[in-house]
Amino acid sequence: MGEILDALLAPLGQGFVRRALYAGLALGAAGSLLGVFIVQRGLGLLSDGLAHATFGGLALGLLLGATVDRAMWVALPFTVAIALGIQHVRRRTTLGGDVATGVFFAVSFAAGILFLGLRSARSAPVNVEGLLFGSLLAVSPESLAVIVGVAALVIVVLAWVGPRLAYATFDPELAALSGVPVAALEYLLLALTALVVVVGVKTVGVVLVSAFVVIPAATASLLGRTLGTIALVAVGLSLFGTAFGLFASYHLNVATGATIILTLGATFFLALVLRRR
Amino acid sequence: MSPALRAQGVTVELGERRVLDDVSFEVARGEFACLCGPNGGGKTTFLKAALGLVPLAAGSIEVLGARPGASANAVGYLPQAKAFNPTFPARVVDVIVANRRGAWPVRVGAADRERARAALARVGGERLLDAVLRGLSGGEMQRAYLARALVNEPALLLLDEPTAGVDARGRGEFLDLLSGVAAREDVAAVLVTHNAAAVRRLAHRVVYLDARVMAWGTPAEVLDREWDRAAFSGHDHDAPPAPLCEDE
Repeated sequence: MGEILDALLAPLGQGFVRRALYAGLALGAAGSLLGVFIVQRGLGLLSDGLAHATFGGLALGLLLGATVDRAMWVALPFTVAIALGIQHVRRRTTLGGDVATGVFFAVSFAAGILFLGLRSARSAPVNVEGLLFGSLLAVSPESLAVIVGVAALVIVVLAWVGPRLAYATFDPELAALSGVPVAALEYLLLALTALVVVVGVKTVGVVLVSAFVVIPAATASLLGRTLGTIALVAVGLSLFGTAFGLFASYHLNVATGATIILTLGATFFLALVLRRR
Repeated sequence: MSPALRAQGVTVELGERRVLDDVSFEVARGEFACLCGPNGGGKTTFLKAALGLVPLAAGSIEVLGARPGASANAVGYLPQAKAFNPTFPARVVDVIVANRRGAWPVRVGAADRERARAALARVGGERLLDAVLRGLSGGEMQRAYLARALVNEPALLLLDEPTAGVDARGRGEFLDLLSGVAAREDVAAVLVTHNAAAVRRLAHRVVYLDARVMAWGTPAEVLDREWDRAAFSGHDHDAPPAPLCEDE
């Protein structure tokens, strides 16, 4: 038994695998906690839209001469600005969140393509596929520090404002009557989501990052009866899916990000079956 | 001591429309007032203005001696439309405790749970404590929300058509509950209703509101009076609808 466990955990002997695990766990914990609020608000497509907006931010960074790693520092404010823009349109117009997200996502992605095309012919080539699909196993120590820092910030802020944000998610009018700053918290939620999505793009890519936010929370919502239970289950599933998917992909020699997301997807469908019973 | 509620020249405009126009009246501490009037007459808007949810274009509202919204815990509110997120994992106990804490309870402790149970007991709804909110009937929902409004021992209750969507038996039971509230000298209430039976049974005073205060007095003075048609000219109605409130 011990030998099997040793063999399964052997990849941890390598630094890049440890960094990938830490990055995935940090991202999973923060993303799934945010996801509880995102899913309850029916904003499941928001993280997907912000991920595509991140592509625009990264492309702008590259156009300004940054490396792919450093372009994250342009993508962070860019995507937060897009998130705040989406929330502004949601609050100031009768358009739904999905419409606002759809508009900003399309414009940002198109701008990203334009930015890449505007780069000088002498610029270093960019691996667009790497941006779209990410590379968890290639997380640098610098990127890991950013990911852990952002995740810690998100978890601390959510621990602080989470109960009031939850009240505003349940009924914004009643929450406002109790003195909850509903509008400010909604802007904060979208800004935090933008932060997690940007650092998540670095690990699992534009296409799959929203799954980190949405799937564990959606699965937990199928199983839990109270918000506290849902949050605990979401974080637990996310940590399990990340660790299991990472080790499985290593031993099976398949794509890491996709394996993690498929593991999380499997838990979702299992929850659907369990719930029906 | 200041009145429970004092409105002076309250004017509210929503877009191009003047919903409330120079509305003035008072509700004394311990008094039970009913707001009657036609649909669109500004009754709900007035309650929301008193809660600080709707800005005033002119005039002022004083709630328990303070500006609207300043003494949130001393005001219990029962909304007409229950606009909560239907997918949110809410139990009745959570909703009541949230109103005590001003935040959603991630975990409900024994003391909070006991307070929620006691509030539900006052409205005959103890069995609803752990019920999922979205699964409640209309009458159960109103009991849960009344318990929520009562949990902070408010000095003023603002009740917006609490018997809407409740069947005849449930309406009778709910009026009994409100009658118990009305009998307490330390609680003032403003009840928005179309129900004449409720007005006659509960109200110390009635305000008939149709953008402006069209009538104001005891139930007998307002409901049983022969109205001078000229008094209503120049407004939406040439004469007050008869009766001013209806038996449902």
